[in-house]
Amino acid sequence: MMDLNPFEADNSVSCRLASQIPEVCRTEDCCLGVDEAGRGPVLGPMVYGICFCPISKNQELKDLKVADSKTLTEAERENLFQKLDEAKSYVGWALDVLSPNVISTSMLQRTKYNLNALSHDTAIGLIQFALDSGVQVKEVFVDTVGPAEKYEQKLSHLFPGIEVTVRPKADSLFPVVSAASICAKVARDRAVERWKFTENLGEVDTDYGSGYPNDPKTKAWLLKYLDPVFGYPQFVRFSWSTAQTLMDSQGVSVHWDDDEEDGEKAAKRQNNRSMLSYFSAPAEGEKTHQTHRFFTDRRLKSLNSL
Amino acid sequence: MAPKKRRTPNTQNDNWVVISADSIINSTKHNSDPAFLRMRNPSTDEASLYVLGSGDLQLYEVKAFEEDFHSWFVGQTVQRDGRLIFVTPMDPLYLILPYLIKSGREGKFQPVDQVVKDEDFPACSRLLSCTRSLASLHHIAEEKEVGSQKFHRYSQDRTMDWLKKKVERTVVALKKKNVCVGEGVKSTTYVRVKSESDNQEDYLRYAHGLISDYISADLSKALLGHLGLSELKSPKETEPPSKKRKLSDKPVEAEEDYTKFNSADFARKPPKKMTAAQKTLAKVDKSGMKPMSSFFSPKAKAEKK
Repeated sequence: MMDLNPFEADNSVSCRLASQIPEVCRTEDCCLGVDEAGRGPVLGPMVYGICFCPISKNQELKDLKVADSKTLTEAERENLFQKLDEAKSYVGWALDVLSPNVISTSMLQRTKYNLNALSHDTAIGLIQFALDSGVQVKEVFVDTVGPAEKYEQKLSHLFPGIEVTVRPKADSLFPVVSAASICAKVARDRAVERWKFTENLGEVDTDYGSGYPNDPKTKAWLLKYLDPVFGYPQFVRFSWSTAQTLMDSQGVSVHWDDDEEDGEKAAKRQNNRSMLSYFSAPAEGEKTHQTHRFFTDRRLKSLNSL
Repeated sequence: MAPKKRRTPNTQNDNWVVISADSIINSTKHNSDPAFLRMRNPSTDEASLYVLGSGDLQLYEVKAFEEDFHSWFVGQTVQRDGRLIFVTPMDPLYLILPYLIKSGREGKFQPVDQVVKDEDFPACSRLLSCTRSLASLHHIAEEKEVGSQKFHRYSQDRTMDWLKKKVERTVVALKKKNVCVGEGVKSTTYVRVKSESDNQEDYLRYAHGLISDYISADLSKALLGHLGLSELKSPKETEPPSKKRKLSDKPVEAEEDYTKFNSADFARKPPKKMTAAQKTLAKVDKSGMKPMSSFFSPKAKAEKK
């Protein structure tokens, strides 16, 4: 079954979970589906999933009645995942659980790494994982992120010899994508449900609703757990505008050196000289005491009060 | 998009993060506590903060490391200012020197406790309690003893020799600490591969500049001569003379004919082929990037018109 323990051992980083690779997948031509769960919520991890099986078994997969995970109730999804697990002689899967912390730090780092790029790279990593594990992948079906055509080109280029199909709503078109979406969604639900807060929050109110930014319950929860200095527990995606807006309005303001600031003001604050000043002769009498560069280089200055 | 954050200036706080020598509070014999005091900075002639250790035995200068976007986590609290304050030992003679120079203009020998007085900074008289003060006055002044009383008169020669020793000792320290002193080197993180040991003048100038932060501009100038160094020309003087247009009697004529760019023939030329590098550059995802030109136009002003 699905064992989330490796992720729960440290939910601040990403984690890969995978089933056994069915022997038949190493010898027969296979199709592979890619889908994700938890792209939109401000809470919890985003899970990327792949599912693969021999092309010849596609019909059997279809007969399991796997369908787009969004049309299913949680119980139905669990049930279907059970069925996939029972079919492990020919169906394999692998998941990347991207912790909210990883999403936050990726999107908010100095060189911005946006969610689309993160999604693409995760999908690519999973396909590569299947190939590295000896799965004879011949066809790949992907639910699109961003413009389908561009994404398809990118994947085809990266995996020559594999027929790549990127479609919006691929999870309702191709059974192998539906299967991947079920794996991803089940993992995401379990990760959220069993989330272990690393922060010392005492008894945590777990009534955070769907986790989507427009859910009033989620919003109320975000307000309740906002710390003026630290913001949120790592369960929250700091890069979401919902979280950011609340932190900006309710929290202490924090300034980073790559914050956007009004050009002129910033220059003045940083004591920058206007470019023009370098081209004109210095005014007479302007010469005041200049601290030696030993001190200025080290950002050291004398004080006249504490 | 979040609104632009406004920065408010650091407000006074009651906590400081300080690194200081143990000696500042070490003395148990003396019951007076170490104190932060404002005294006249010999270089700027304005108030600066100093510390007198317990019993006024040792003078310390106060320097703060201050850089934008820093804060402290101290225990269970956050301190907004990310300053790191250094309290380091300092020779009290530097602070005493300006008072001696001032009284020295009268040319008389005077008791030093009458000389080191300042209405604006009354704490300066405590400098004379420092262990080294009275014992080292002879570095900067001539001494006369009449009965049990000592009289002093400022001596430029002695002061120059004393400062020269300071510079030389600073050079030794700079070499020992591998401080980059070359004029071209502006970054402390830049490490030169080639040894600079042969460039004694760079060290001397650097050390002179460092000592100059503790003495008046006049003394700094005099010291430079005493060290046998010439004054560096200011950038204004070293600048090349501005080019003047050569006058000639010949009629002015364009050197190149630009009218050809206006011809239809020119306009129809196909664009040049891009190089491989330009092509890959063109393929880069530019979504969300500002055009280069946007950085050069004034922001809101243009819209007001």
